[in-house]
Amino acid sequence: MKKITFSLALAAAFALTALPSFATTSVKVTVNGMVCAFCAQGIEKRISKMGATKEVFVDLKKKTVAIEAKEGQLLDEKAITAEIVDSGYDVVKLETVPQSVAEIRAELKGRK
Amino acid sequence: MKARLVQRIALALGSALVALPAWCGPMGFKDSWMAMGDFAPNWKEAFVNYALTPRDALGVSTLVMRSDDESRARQLNEVTYTRLLSRWNLPEAQANVWLMGGAGNLTGNDFSGSKAVVTPGIQVDYETTRVYASALLRLYRAEGINHDFASARLGFSFYEVDYDQTQPWLIVEARRMNGLSDATEVTPMLRLIHNRYFVELGVSNASQVRANFMYIF
Repeated sequence: MKKITFSLALAAAFALTALPSFATTSVKVTVNGMVCAFCAQGIEKRISKMGATKEVFVDLKKKTVAIEAKEGQLLDEKAITAEIVDSGYDVVKLETVPQSVAEIRAELKGRK
Repeated sequence: MKARLVQRIALALGSALVALPAWCGPMGFKDSWMAMGDFAPNWKEAFVNYALTPRDALGVSTLVMRSDDESRARQLNEVTYTRLLSRWNLPEAQANVWLMGGAGNLTGNDFSGSKAVVTPGIQVDYETTRVYASALLRLYRAEGINHDFASARLGFSFYEVDYDQTQPWLIVEARRMNGLSDATEVTPMLRLIHNRYFVELGVSNASQVRANFMYIF
């Protein structure tokens, strides 16, 4: 009986270890041509509509757009690039980072 | 001597073009609607268009023009097409060349009936987070009518802002319309931009109040 209990506990421990850990990830994009809020709002609006998007942050001074993924979902970098281009801008650099939008915002504002 | 003169003229033209600012473009992003209004006693315009692609928009416009002495008035209703011909996205700036045009009908208080009218135009603009410049030339032509229009805008923002803050600008526009006014109207305006809201308020050198707005939805 003890052996069965031990085996069950071991199996449960393995199962827990195997569960995916949903670390926060965001995509950080450097965008050329983004000079005013009125013009850049298309980026925020279009990317916000994407299914995997949890939050969008636009920083005009740093020419940066940050997009945070919903828990357990992946952001489609090609689709993000297409949305920014359709909004009228050029993507210079795109990287996935293990940060939330709030952390990126704090980091960018800290650099000002 | 001639070569040096040509070189100087070319340099001056080049400098002028570089200095041209752009106002926010005459259309929004793909699949967006843009509404615009420009209101002054002698010029009242309302305009809405839809961006079919990142570079093409279709819209409708109504414009009421009046002569300086208030004796003559025109009303123009038209279907418009806007085309982003070229765009340069730079790290700190954006520059654009726009083609625009419309076709519609024109009525006036000094002729009977209505006339078919066409309004081809071109706009160039250049904008940074602190500087804005644009130039617009638009022809308003109907049988026996020539109200060609030209305007130039130059301005600066008082300071840079974050995306979610209101940015104030000082913009000065000089504009002139053939056939209804012999004067060049100069209007300094306070421009406020906050996300999707864009408004301008000013008083012209003819002491006329002017209000503009744009909204994207």
